[in-house]
Amino acid sequence: MDDAITLTHRRIFILPTKRGGGMGLLIVILLLIAFVYNNNLAYLLTFLIASVFFITILHTFKSMAGLVVQAGQTKAVFAGEAAGFDIHIDNPNAVERPHLQIKLSKPQSFFLNPHSKTTQTLYSPTQKRGWHNAGTVTVFSTYPFGLFYAWSPLRFNTNALVYPKPSTLELPFPETPSADAELGVNHKGADDFYGLQEYQAGDSIKHIHWKAFAKGQGIFSKQYSGNGTAAEVWLHYDYAAGHDTEQRLSQLCRWVIDAERADIRYGLVLPNLKLMPDNGANHYRQCLEALALL
Amino acid sequence: MNSPHHKRILIFLLTSVGLIVLPHSVNIPPALFGFFSLMLGWRFACVWRPQYLPTVRVLFFLTMLALVLLLSQHRHLLGRDAGTNLFILALGLKLLEIKAERDIYLVTYLAFIVAASLFLYEQSLFMAAYILAVCCVLFATLVAINSLQIHTRAALKTATVIVMQAIPLTVIIFILFPRVEAPRWMLFEEKNKAKIGLSDSMEPGSISDLGTSEELVFRVKFTGDIPPPKLRYWRGPVLSYTDGKRWTQVRFKAPVANPSYAGTAYSYTLLMETQEKDWVFGLDLPAQFSNPLVQNGYYQLINLENPHKRAEYQITSYSQYNTGNLTRSEYQTSIQLPREPSDKIKQLVTQLHGFDSKPDALIQQILNHFRQEDFHYTLTPPLMEDNPIDSFLFSTKRGFCSHYASAFVYLMRVAHIPARVVTGYQGGQFNRVGNFLEIRQANAHAWAEVWLENQGWVRVDPTAAIAPERIEQQLNLDQLELGGDIRFDAGDAKQLNWLKQTRQLWENADYQWQRWVVNYDSNNQSDFLSQFGIHDFKTMMQWLMTLVGLMTVILSGFLLYQKKKATDPVLRLYQQFCQKLQAAGLTRTDREGAVDFAHRATTALPEHAEIIEEITTAFIQLRYGRVTTREDFGKFAKLVAGFKLNNRKP
Repeated sequence: MDDAITLTHRRIFILPTKRGGGMGLLIVILLLIAFVYNNNLAYLLTFLIASVFFITILHTFKSMAGLVVQAGQTKAVFAGEAAGFDIHIDNPNAVERPHLQIKLSKPQSFFLNPHSKTTQTLYSPTQKRGWHNAGTVTVFSTYPFGLFYAWSPLRFNTNALVYPKPSTLELPFPETPSADAELGVNHKGADDFYGLQEYQAGDSIKHIHWKAFAKGQGIFSKQYSGNGTAAEVWLHYDYAAGHDTEQRLSQLCRWVIDAERADIRYGLVLPNLKLMPDNGANHYRQCLEALALL
Repeated sequence: MNSPHHKRILIFLLTSVGLIVLPHSVNIPPALFGFFSLMLGWRFACVWRPQYLPTVRVLFFLTMLALVLLLSQHRHLLGRDAGTNLFILALGLKLLEIKAERDIYLVTYLAFIVAASLFLYEQSLFMAAYILAVCCVLFATLVAINSLQIHTRAALKTATVIVMQAIPLTVIIFILFPRVEAPRWMLFEEKNKAKIGLSDSMEPGSISDLGTSEELVFRVKFTGDIPPPKLRYWRGPVLSYTDGKRWTQVRFKAPVANPSYAGTAYSYTLLMETQEKDWVFGLDLPAQFSNPLVQNGYYQLINLENPHKRAEYQITSYSQYNTGNLTRSEYQTSIQLPREPSDKIKQLVTQLHGFDSKPDALIQQILNHFRQEDFHYTLTPPLMEDNPIDSFLFSTKRGFCSHYASAFVYLMRVAHIPARVVTGYQGGQFNRVGNFLEIRQANAHAWAEVWLENQGWVRVDPTAAIAPERIEQQLNLDQLELGGDIRFDAGDAKQLNWLKQTRQLWENADYQWQRWVVNYDSNNQSDFLSQFGIHDFKTMMQWLMTLVGLMTVILSGFLLYQKKKATDPVLRLYQQFCQKLQAAGLTRTDREGAVDFAHRATTALPEHAEIIEEITTAFIQLRYGRVTTREDFGKFAKLVAGFKLNNRKP
């Protein structure tokens, strides 16, 4: 994975801001006043402001120099959500960093005490499933006077996994024939989703049809045929509704989520891969990953 | 713009703006200062009551009002006063229109311009220190804007530190930045405030108060010998024409003959304060001087080029001189009398053997007359309107230097001896700290010059002849005493109390400030730099670049150097612990947290599980915990030190 990046003069760039340009103009005006009136103290003030302006470059550089930036964990998201990238910023020096900013799409401000570290989570909007690269993370600072903008563009080889966007269609699980004849098991009708029934006290909370509840249609429990034994579905690529791959994957994604929520054992059959029925967080992630990377 | 953060920034900004404009209260018309104060007060109130901020319409009205005010005072917008007022009004109006961060910057920049304009009115050391302090506050405002949290003290400290770090660089640029005089057309009205000084005429009878001002006229720094007090006569206008009451100058373009000089040469630098005349008061008698000085027919130094500026001159004078013979016209002007002198005066001159003895004998006679008769020295003599010489000599017998000098010259002329009145300054206070003489308005003096065969013009000071006990004015006594005219008790004069010493210290600082900073012009610059072998513009620029570069390197080294081994001691101990585990083949990877690593370690080394977990918990507590104590650290250190792996391989 990525190594930590230390911000040195090779990585920090500095340019004056618009306000810095304004101060340049101020210095010219003051110089003109001093010149016209041949006034040495006006000269002195001009040179003082010019010197302060000049050494602000050093101070702005110093406000960033020595920071150690490292990419941290990422969290997988569904397409359309913003992917979060953890960035660890470590201040190994004995100086305070009163105002630092970091941005991916939106700038975030933070400060660091001497010998301390912080983790900033940066968000980047996603559209497509698959690996989503963090892109360029910019650490920047205009401290102390806002006259100079020091920045360091950092490219981390860190990716967030983006799952397909779950379909909004409410389709029942497919009635799949035995997906795997070799196993010789056919659970059809045994632990299948049967239908919805009004919630009764004692029903498992996992079986509540939350979607319907959210739509204000009342509380329903999902009913499964088979006497309480774990249901099992095969989520088959070929049986998913949709015009193209993305729509099908989107539908499959919806089913995986629903099945996991409903605590049904589910298997996934994709053109290039087959996952045996199971459930639980690991299986769930495996399925979604397979969908994301197809 | 109403969060507490912005409130504090605004308070910061408004305070510094107020501090910048405050000294201008004596420079700008009261109406304008009032207007500005109103704007500032209004804005201050709006920090807590933003609903009272003016609307666009009100702002427009205020702007018009400001313009009317400005035009009523100046009728044009160029020049120092009008320009300063314009910037102050703009600053006041902009204060009411602070909407975004951009506006705060604009206000700050305007405040810097107003700060520079203060120097066009006053260039004292005190003002410079004041502006420096306010600049720190202005920069602190910018720090506050750019900080996540505002701690007033921290912002002020940061700004002050940066400003102090900028000072060496400022000094380098100040010394080496080429000074070029602005072309004439760029100079707006540069009126100098009229300073009280000597005038080009003297009317002793009509003056009843003179020379009590402590205002500084010029300062003199000698390079070699310092003349004794009795020789410290600083020559000003020579008055040779009289109408009986008034003494005025008669113009002579150039010295008729070059005097011959003898005795000690006194070389000195004379730093003239601003004045409305073009006179430079050289030590009697100036022999060598450089441009732009010229000498008129009375050996008085004149600056024809730019007399009103504070300027420095290099002059050499000799105390012994012989001005040689008189020309006919000179003789005529020097014995001129308005009318036939009165019988009383003729009688007095006869009595003093004026008509039958040598000129030097008459001088002694007249001085003795002043000494022995009931003459008094006073700075507040009675007015003598009609016949001042007669009244002074025979009835009032009270007066100051002008009375004595004019009466003396008059008597000499009655005896047909060429004589004239010289005005100028006499004495001066020696500043022991800075080794220079300070000559103030109170040192103004008038004495006489008599032309003697083979000696030329000779200085005679009739005031010095007055008996010391008859001096009425205590204040001037001090001056005369220091000047060496009159001595009562030599010990008194030498005693300096601490107050005087402090004053001299300050005067010295001020002198050095005037000399090296305020007065640092292209001449001074080239003089100063040529000591270091910098003669032309090109080398000057090269030196400027080199020194600025050098300073930058030093500063970056100072700012950016950080000790490598500054890691947390807790972390160092933990690393020792990790190294011990490495012996067992357990290496902590960069991305592995302490807990994860401990988990791996306990699995691999179950017999050490307890101590590994203890160390890890202590480490996490010390490094990330909220409250840690010194004992915690000691315990942790002991645990790490005591941790040992069994030799048995797992």
